[in-house]
Amino acid sequence: MPLDKQNGRSVQVLGIDAGGTMTDTFFVDADGEFVVGKAQSTPDNEALGLIESSREGLGHWGLSLEDALSSIQTGVYSGTAMLNRVVQRKGLKCGLIVNAGMEDFHRMGRAIQAYLGFAYEDRIHLNTHYFDEPLVPRHRTRGVMERVDMFGDVVIPLREDSAIAAARELIAQDVEGIVISLLHSYKNPHHERRVRDIVRAEVEAAGKSIPVFASVDYYPVRKETHRTNTTILEAYAAEPSRQTLKKITSAFKDNGSRFDFRVMATHGGTISWKAKELARTIVSGPIGGVIGAKYLGEVLGYRNIACSDIGGTSFDVALITQNELTIRNDPDMARLVLSLPLVAMDSVGAGAGSFIRLDPYTKAIKLGPDSAGYRVGVCWAESGIETVTISDCHVILGYLNPDNFLGGQVKLDRQRAWDAMKVQIADPLGLSVEDAAAGVIELLDSDLRDYLRSMISGKGYSPASFTCFSYGGAGPVHAYGYTEGLGFEDVIVPAWAAGFSAFGCAAADFEYRYDKSLDLNIAETASDDLKAAEARTLNEAWHELTERVLEEFELNGYTRDQVTLQPGFRMQYRGQLNDLEIESPIHTARTAADWDRLVAAFNDTYGRVYAASARSPELGYSVTGAIMRGTVPIPKPKIPKEPELGATPPEDAKLGTRRFYRRKRWVDAQLYQMERLQPGNRITGPAIIESDATTFVVPDGFETWLDGHRLFHLKEV
Amino acid sequence: MNAPIQIKGIVRGGQTLKQHRDEIIEATKRTGHYAGLKKMALRDSDPIMYNKLFSRLRAGVVDARETAKKIAASPIVEQEGELCFTLYNAAGDSILTSTGIIIHVGTMGAAIKYMIENDWESNPGVRDRDIFCNNDSLIGNVHPCDIHTIVPIFHEGALIGWVGGVTHVIDTGAVGPGSMTTGQVQRFGDGYSVTCRKVGENDTLFRDWLHESQRSVRTTRYWMLDERTRIAGCHMIRRMVEEVIAEEGIDAYWQFAYEAVEHGRLGLQNRIKAMTIPGKYRQVGFVDVPYAHDDVRVPSDFAKVDTIMHTPSEMTIRPDGTWRLDFEGSSRWGWHTYNAHSVSFTSGIWVMMTQTLIPTEMINDGAAYGTEFRLPKGTWMNPDDRRVAFAYSWHFLVSSWTALWRGLSRAYFGRGYLEEVNAGNANTSNWLQGGGFNQYDEIHAVNSFECAANGVGASAIADGISHAAAIWNPEGDMGDMEIWELAEPLIYLGRQIKASSGGAGKFRGGCGFESLRMVWNAKDWTMFFMGNGHISSDWGLMGGYPAASGYRFEAHDTGLKEIIASGGDIPHGGDTDPQNPVWDAMLGGAKIKRDKQAITTEAMFKDYDLYLNYMRGGPGFGDPLDRDPQAVADDVNGGYLVERFAASVYGVVLKTAASGLFEADEAATETRRAQIRADRLARAVPTRDWMARERERILQKDAGVHVQQMFAASFKLGPRWEEGFRKFWDLPIDWQLMEADLPIPSYGRDYSMDLSELPDVKTVQFVEE
Repeated sequence: MPLDKQNGRSVQVLGIDAGGTMTDTFFVDADGEFVVGKAQSTPDNEALGLIESSREGLGHWGLSLEDALSSIQTGVYSGTAMLNRVVQRKGLKCGLIVNAGMEDFHRMGRAIQAYLGFAYEDRIHLNTHYFDEPLVPRHRTRGVMERVDMFGDVVIPLREDSAIAAARELIAQDVEGIVISLLHSYKNPHHERRVRDIVRAEVEAAGKSIPVFASVDYYPVRKETHRTNTTILEAYAAEPSRQTLKKITSAFKDNGSRFDFRVMATHGGTISWKAKELARTIVSGPIGGVIGAKYLGEVLGYRNIACSDIGGTSFDVALITQNELTIRNDPDMARLVLSLPLVAMDSVGAGAGSFIRLDPYTKAIKLGPDSAGYRVGVCWAESGIETVTISDCHVILGYLNPDNFLGGQVKLDRQRAWDAMKVQIADPLGLSVEDAAAGVIELLDSDLRDYLRSMISGKGYSPASFTCFSYGGAGPVHAYGYTEGLGFEDVIVPAWAAGFSAFGCAAADFEYRYDKSLDLNIAETASDDLKAAEARTLNEAWHELTERVLEEFELNGYTRDQVTLQPGFRMQYRGQLNDLEIESPIHTARTAADWDRLVAAFNDTYGRVYAASARSPELGYSVTGAIMRGTVPIPKPKIPKEPELGATPPEDAKLGTRRFYRRKRWVDAQLYQMERLQPGNRITGPAIIESDATTFVVPDGFETWLDGHRLFHLKEV
Repeated sequence: MNAPIQIKGIVRGGQTLKQHRDEIIEATKRTGHYAGLKKMALRDSDPIMYNKLFSRLRAGVVDARETAKKIAASPIVEQEGELCFTLYNAAGDSILTSTGIIIHVGTMGAAIKYMIENDWESNPGVRDRDIFCNNDSLIGNVHPCDIHTIVPIFHEGALIGWVGGVTHVIDTGAVGPGSMTTGQVQRFGDGYSVTCRKVGENDTLFRDWLHESQRSVRTTRYWMLDERTRIAGCHMIRRMVEEVIAEEGIDAYWQFAYEAVEHGRLGLQNRIKAMTIPGKYRQVGFVDVPYAHDDVRVPSDFAKVDTIMHTPSEMTIRPDGTWRLDFEGSSRWGWHTYNAHSVSFTSGIWVMMTQTLIPTEMINDGAAYGTEFRLPKGTWMNPDDRRVAFAYSWHFLVSSWTALWRGLSRAYFGRGYLEEVNAGNANTSNWLQGGGFNQYDEIHAVNSFECAANGVGASAIADGISHAAAIWNPEGDMGDMEIWELAEPLIYLGRQIKASSGGAGKFRGGCGFESLRMVWNAKDWTMFFMGNGHISSDWGLMGGYPAASGYRFEAHDTGLKEIIASGGDIPHGGDTDPQNPVWDAMLGGAKIKRDKQAITTEAMFKDYDLYLNYMRGGPGFGDPLDRDPQAVADDVNGGYLVERFAASVYGVVLKTAASGLFEADEAATETRRAQIRADRLARAVPTRDWMARERERILQKDAGVHVQQMFAASFKLGPRWEEGFRKFWDLPIDWQLMEADLPIPSYGRDYSMDLSELPDVKTVQFVEE
């Protein structure tokens, strides 16, 4: 980033990515220039780390925190605190009310939760499976007698005395939140709402203030384990986060800020920290990068984007098609099945810190899934790591500068890595150390490439219509490797790759999204009258959701005319158990022709995602859900636009050369300082472009040029 | 013209499928290495390329399963993951598989081999973009409800492999509704049977197939979407293979397709060497077939008998890591649906191995080539009659395999791999099945798969996990109740962990669970039970107890409609202590069946009737008296143990803590345990005396007819096993036990006729017989 403009800046936007170890801040000024701040995270009081990171970042611009904050109009938070609270089971003491007779179902989980997130070998290895502690223990779970069937018809009327008893027993246990989830309440909410009101009355009668969460008020969708887990998260983990966010907001206000923080949510937009459904901010960090890519795409005209992010432990991929995110409706997280709309992101447990091992029995090469994380690898003598990692390969092969890791804070020892690689991998495979290390990198790249490819073809597309964005600390190291031969339209490495997630947070829309379960069933050959009737039912649901969206915005001071609305729906062939989310091609649905347009959009998507032969229109169609998303315009980081200069990089960008091994030979790679390169510069591999937080590798056979937006474009030549 | 006809095969290189397979088998036999691959040239010269191919192909098959299952409508497929996709080389040996019901790695391979051996190549022909379907249990399938779709893979006009996909369908049009029915006693009642039939060309299914198959089953919609799931998955994998070949070249792919199998074989051998101790391991399994009961209605008098199925096994591990499994002494096939083909029996053992011995990246037919099996012909797991039924072969498969866990676990224990010890798998039942008209007023069949989540056997360091897995699919799941209620006109009144269902032990077996279902919105409805009842199907290990066996609870004319309306007590939750039931008294004049008859045939049910679906637990490890007393108290508090068994089985005396929860009374427990140990000693007799007493009973034939029949059948088919029995008990030569002398019919005893005796049929022999 140019460091020449030090005064007179008006800082507009703040993005925050509060990770487990580091807290990144990302500031954008009115000209679209940005700066990244880094500080260690402070889990006990997140505000401290945030303030420190901000000071550090603004320091690069020569600004004090107080100077900068007063002009900032928007601040977006993302972090892992809530997720960690869940993983470490450090949430609030909650009570749970379910159907009488089914009090065990939450702790039984779904058995799938005993191996969620496992690698193939462990998924089949029975003795490795285990359940985590339930979020609410059995002794704080109570049942109420009632039953509603799948059509929403009452089978057993609610016995209110059982609800009163349940409430009193939980209140007596001093719970900090009470969650209610009854079977099929998404279909007929009356019993569950009545229980909610009874519990509230009992709480009041007891003179306490315990929040009450009925699943139907939050996530009224089918599959009780998903719905209940998610509603419990609201009580168990989201409420403490709300307090944290409140603290952060006031810490910044104390330093002169005037804005309210928004939080990155699983659906890919940001919501106010006051929003009702805060559990959907449980994973926000990794989504930031996807939003950043989407925003860049919107501004610069990339409609289909494959987002790829490599950090120390994982490779995350997400797709943006036609400027739209893909949403998953029953994802899992922290080994819990959930019913949140989540930006579909797939993760492979393979990052720069991943360990490399040979199977002692079959000599197969295994990467990860565990990782040295921040301890880098054997090459860092003080790390205590004895098993070689991907980073060790980087050091052996000359990808990384051992003297400039994290800006030189950590000195790496190539010989240590080389010796370990020889003993652990190269000798047993009968390869030279260099070939073994290069082979591992090739294998990793190939795994990642396959992953990208299968994700894109799984959506029914080919890479040729996609631009691949590569970011994260190690993304640019491997960008050439995992994109080679896939035929992407373009491969882009932003110059601020290491801070890209925080950037994305700053670029996210202020967006509320609400979903409602529907159960519309219609034959393929239904009459026009019936089609029109179903269209109108969907339209009514859209209308209802619109009101909820608008209400949320009104709370934040936006008027109705400022909100842009986008309806969607979920459809499946009748009788199926999985639906597809479709963005509606029409904004209102009233006629049979409208209905046919919805069906056509669904059939088209279905054939692409699965196979044309899997289409089953003869079964008829079910609409299972209505979706409404609303956004309001907010200030976003301006994308820089600098004039392009010559193709030849300035001499002062050159940092000498380093030996670099690939494809069975050593070459001398030209080294560059990333920040000194100028728009228009063109660099032909072998070259390595270094900055403090990331390294961009351009091997022979590749070329990159820097455009006026400070985006590197990588090409095979 | 008289010129000799040049026969050119369809396999890459010009061989016919038969020539190709013969060559592979011959080379394997000759060298002891798969396909004669003493060296793995690709892996050794280019390990990176080899690993890349492996990793990419496996990711592809796993991904195809995850994607394709979303097409299905059946919760069995979509929620329980009862599907699997496998990639084969041209000879029909598996290279790689997805997760799921991986027993079919072997059964689909057997179908491909059947096509090869019976010259499908010339008639009906095997061409690019063909689709084949198979579910024939006589050639290796587990049971008819597992439907295979098999698609050949061609490259430049030559066959280079196959891909198979399988789903467990909800109904196959058997005598009764459901996929694993009990009423029939011959294969002809098992339902729709399809033998490697070509059902489509040019990636399109034939209309005659669609019409015939869709009317041959009760649940047509599930059937259709299951088939589309299988085809879509196969096509995804075929496309992936094409892409891999385009990138890496056909030579590398072809080489990999054979080296991978040898790799799998070596992997097994090395793991056996590393984890076990050479020697002979013997164990045994039993299960009950209680067919003399009124509630088992079968068409044939000769099937109306109580019998016991028997599987002794001898596992020989050699110092070089090769091994042999011999099942001499197993009882004969029977007139029920619990018979199994040798392929399903051995493939299931392979599945078990993948869960414990070889949970590695490379699981494929290599392990099958690395294992010698001996299954005497005529036994229940290698029947010699083409009339036998297979619909629920799992009934005894699961109880036979649980014995092998014990054998392996003793070896692991000896080597110090305590965490790998597993006292055995649960009997994966009950199977709630039935049918009639459902809540949508359509013909319907139900087949709850909640028992994909049974208790797991204890290890030597920890309790087995509860409600978690099934031997046939380690990725167990019970599914959401709301989804089962979509698929079944039965509402839940309870879903609860089944106390004391896991076997007691120092480490206890995982518990199963139970679901109480009330019939709701059903018309002309039937249901039945399927599971073990009179016999514990597994054993504990090293002093641990077996899991509890099954029982049934059903209630008719319950009066629940009135009870609900009047605010009376409604049975709900679990049948926590079946010996002291509480529901029965709530139901006034209801007709209740509560007994050990855990197998029944279709009984009539109507709205407000009740059915208890009880999923079994796993066996325990170690003496229960060694269990940490507080863990016992926690088990009672947590609903894993019926309170009274704390004292009687574990010797733990409980007291109530201030919190209202139980805790162990340490001093009283110590006293109680000392007493139990003293009682044990008082009860004990020297082995010599006990054997003398038992020998006398044997000489007198002092045993139930079903026990005598079981031994008589085993003696006949296993002369060596009989010899061992005689020697052990020192029986005189004139002591004879013959089925013909018993007062029950034994049709099939002397006369049988195998599939191989049909014209033009070449059966494929996979095991030593």
